[in-house]
Amino acid sequence: MNAAFADPAAWPICIVAGLLMLAGLLLAGAKIVPPVLSDILALAATAAAGVLAAVLAIRIGDHPALYWMGGWTPRQGQAIGIAFLADRAGAGAAAFAGLMFTGAIWFARGYFAGARNHFHVLMLLFLASQCGFFFAHDLFDMFVWFEMMSVAGFALTGYALRSSSLDGALNFTIINTIGAYLILMGIALAYAHANALDFSAVRAVAQGRPDDPVLIAAFVLITTGFLTKAAQVPFHFWLPDAHAVAPSPVSAIFSGIMVSIGLFGVARMAWDVFAPCPAVRHLAHVGLISIGCGSAIAGAVMALMQRHVKRLLAFSTISHVGIALIGVGLLGQQGLGGSLLYLAGHGLIKAMLFMIAGIMLSTLGGIDEIGLRGAGRRIWPAGIVMGACALVLAGIPVGPLDAGARMMDAQARSNGLHWLALVIGFAGALTGGAVLRVTGRVFFNLGPMTGEEDAAPTDDEREHANRPFAAQLVPVLTLLGVWVLLASMFARSSERFALAAAHDMALGADFSSRRALPHMTPILPWLPALVAVAIASVDLNRHRIPDVVYDRLMGLTRPGLHMLQVIHDSVIGEYVLWMMAGLLLLAGIAIF
Amino acid sequence: MSDVFSLLPWIGAVWLFGIGLYGIVSSRHFVHLTGCLAAIQSSSYLVLLGIGYRYGAVAPIFYDKRPGTQAVDPVVQALVLTDVVIGATVSALLLALVLQLHKRNGIVDPQAMRPMGKSAVPTAGGGRQPNGHTA
Amino acid sequence: MSALDVSSHKAQATIGRRGIILRVAFVILAVGLAVVAWPVVHAMPQFGSHPLPYGDRVNAIGPAERHITNMVSAINFDIRGIDTLGEEFMLLCAVTGGTVLLRGGRGEDRAASPGHVKGRANHRPPDSLRLLCRVLAPLTMLFGLYLAINAMLTPGGGFQGGVVIASALLLIYLAEGYAGWRDALGSEFFDAIEGLGAALYALCGFVSMGLGLPYLAAFLPFGTLKNTFSGGSMLIVNLGVTLAVAGGFATLLIEFMEETRTLKPGDDPDE
Repeated sequence: MNAAFADPAAWPICIVAGLLMLAGLLLAGAKIVPPVLSDILALAATAAAGVLAAVLAIRIGDHPALYWMGGWTPRQGQAIGIAFLADRAGAGAAAFAGLMFTGAIWFARGYFAGARNHFHVLMLLFLASQCGFFFAHDLFDMFVWFEMMSVAGFALTGYALRSSSLDGALNFTIINTIGAYLILMGIALAYAHANALDFSAVRAVAQGRPDDPVLIAAFVLITTGFLTKAAQVPFHFWLPDAHAVAPSPVSAIFSGIMVSIGLFGVARMAWDVFAPCPAVRHLAHVGLISIGCGSAIAGAVMALMQRHVKRLLAFSTISHVGIALIGVGLLGQQGLGGSLLYLAGHGLIKAMLFMIAGIMLSTLGGIDEIGLRGAGRRIWPAGIVMGACALVLAGIPVGPLDAGARMMDAQARSNGLHWLALVIGFAGALTGGAVLRVTGRVFFNLGPMTGEEDAAPTDDEREHANRPFAAQLVPVLTLLGVWVLLASMFARSSERFALAAAHDMALGADFSSRRALPHMTPILPWLPALVAVAIASVDLNRHRIPDVVYDRLMGLTRPGLHMLQVIHDSVIGEYVLWMMAGLLLLAGIAIF
Repeated sequence: MSDVFSLLPWIGAVWLFGIGLYGIVSSRHFVHLTGCLAAIQSSSYLVLLGIGYRYGAVAPIFYDKRPGTQAVDPVVQALVLTDVVIGATVSALLLALVLQLHKRNGIVDPQAMRPMGKSAVPTAGGGRQPNGHTA
Repeated sequence: MSALDVSSHKAQATIGRRGIILRVAFVILAVGLAVVAWPVVHAMPQFGSHPLPYGDRVNAIGPAERHITNMVSAINFDIRGIDTLGEEFMLLCAVTGGTVLLRGGRGEDRAASPGHVKGRANHRPPDSLRLLCRVLAPLTMLFGLYLAINAMLTPGGGFQGGVVIASALLLIYLAEGYAGWRDALGSEFFDAIEGLGAALYALCGFVSMGLGLPYLAAFLPFGTLKNTFSGGSMLIVNLGVTLAVAGGFATLLIEFMEETRTLKPGDDPDE
């Protein structure tokens, strides 16, 4: 093989450019290429990209390598070109993205038949831009890939052209575009400060003047933009609108990997590029943990109050990504590694759940939990998978999601944050309980009486019924298989890999404790899952609860819940105001 | 400390960003809102080009100047070019969405939209029957 | 329908009240943000007189090592060429996405006759306009080509040239009316141009690798300074960008025009 291709450091650009080139050729040959061939090519390309990234992650090991495009290596210590960084964090994330996309394209076979192969083109560009983002080692280049990913997402969200999907796509586009311009402004400030865009170069300059307000402002702006993409409180309002209305294979991608990308960006910024600033360390610790806690709790409560299944899953995504964000802010390798592992575990589970929602849409002709009561009995295998996923979300002590949670918890304990386990348990119990309630109602005909979820927004929606149930279930089971492998055979190695990836990612951070912290099981490991089952049982058996007790119970919670509902039922202008408030909050934490 | 004139580009950028946001918050038409996004974006042009400016320097084009003449920063200009493309792509998508929305229900007022459309009609007690849900 | 009944007075009054609250909240938050922005504005580098080592380095490299005089092109097509690769495909992504969104209801096929919006006059363009546009359209296209070809020397480049070329198509629309326009142009053709142009860019990088160089490294002789065909493989990259941008914007124009058709009954996915 040619020496230029044999160097593993060159593989990242091969992955990205290869996917891009295939997308361009598919578009050019749209008229000639038969749909089956488009499917095969897209599947082969995404799978190949994932496998190549996985091999790269193993091959590169302890020696992350920079690859300078066009051979523009730094001159006299000054970076002039753009580099891709081949490290375990980027390659691992790209491998995971490849897996997600392969599953989603497989699941979507037949769904987008009307759109020639434009869907494949968009999905390939979507994956290529995500990989580019993971590998980029330059502020502006990273932004270009980030924005390309957003554009692909915007278009895919509105695909169904229903009023609700257009509305969701508009919210998504406008809020995320404002976020993108905040990032761009932050990059401009970083350039003003450092007169460089390469990560290491900016970090080197930051080392010299760590207290410059321009630099701190740059970090605040960039973080706000990434948190908008990660849909964290109070930048999260677009997400339920968009995830609920996007085609379900696309929602699987959104929740499985796209939202996590915002977190990846925040972590890279905080612990690599801007790590030398004490203010950034403080901001990352206080700001990210409080925003993460807020998201974990608000998302979980809102999830429990939904009846539109995809909207419910979207709120649970906010909650779980919030927990992962806490891990990013924990000032430790174990915390960051746990966060990455948690995101991977969550991505797998959430992709499966959105696919099952897609199965409901196409085989049951609806997505409304109350309207579909009992309709799912004939597709009970999907119900079993959904129930299992709900238990995993709730936090049963098995699998990558739980391993990540335990790593974060261990880190939090060593930092004196003993209450973190409660937040994780709370979010798990509520989101798991919500998904269990849906499972019980749709697939087992339980829960004749509705509660607070009754007033939630919903929509009559359906997806093409041209795909057999079994064919749709196979990708779900495949992802389940991957999860089982990660939970059993590769449990230890995935933890080790997550720790190594966190180490590669936090190059600039001086994380005091590099030693592996002992794993602890904080509260009874099955407790959150038990609470989830209890919540679902109460919700499904409302008709058996005496009126006195029920009214007393609802009277206590109703005002707060109602306020949350009202806040989330609003217009773009208010979403923008919330964004400004969040920006002000982050700036305030940075100053004080 | 710098005099106030050398602060003007940055103040201008903050101002542009602010009025763009104000426009979005108060907008009653999605096409107007798309324009407001462009105003926000132009503040990033202003910052980038302002950073690259240098008194008395020429444009970074050496066709009629001797190479080596002191020139302004070409990097930010290239970044702005990419930025322009980003603005164009987002505007195109937004306008396409707005066109379709207008065609669906004739409404292009951001303040008249609610997530997911109407709220469900509350059902008392028993909930809806299975399969009562037809599209 | 995800909309209030905005025609009613009550709904309008609600929106109006809400608007006032939104504005007040905005002003409060904006003042707060302005206060925290002030120290940042003060700490910005001195306008017009601070060191720019990155730009200076590029200004030195361009003429000496790549034999070209337009430094912005040196950055776009070579030094930071990956950014432009991403930018081209972002455009391709937006055009594909826009096409998907705009076609939606009408699907793959184009109607046999051009659409007509109810209540909109469909006059034949006046002769003076037709003459003017027929003269201007080729000139505009020529100007676009000039901009694109001289990317390495003077301000311009594939992106600017491509946009100008695509906008010449609008003049043809003005001259020939929509019916004539859509007969003359096929969206498949522009799709192909766009996809191939963008793919050419990515391929150019792989050719470098095939020759044992890093991705997108220059592999052609650089020519002489101030010659139109200086810059080596940047010329190929520039050609790719020109094709992609011209094709992309032309596709967008076609799809937006085509969208003036009204929906057929039964097309509405909300029903």
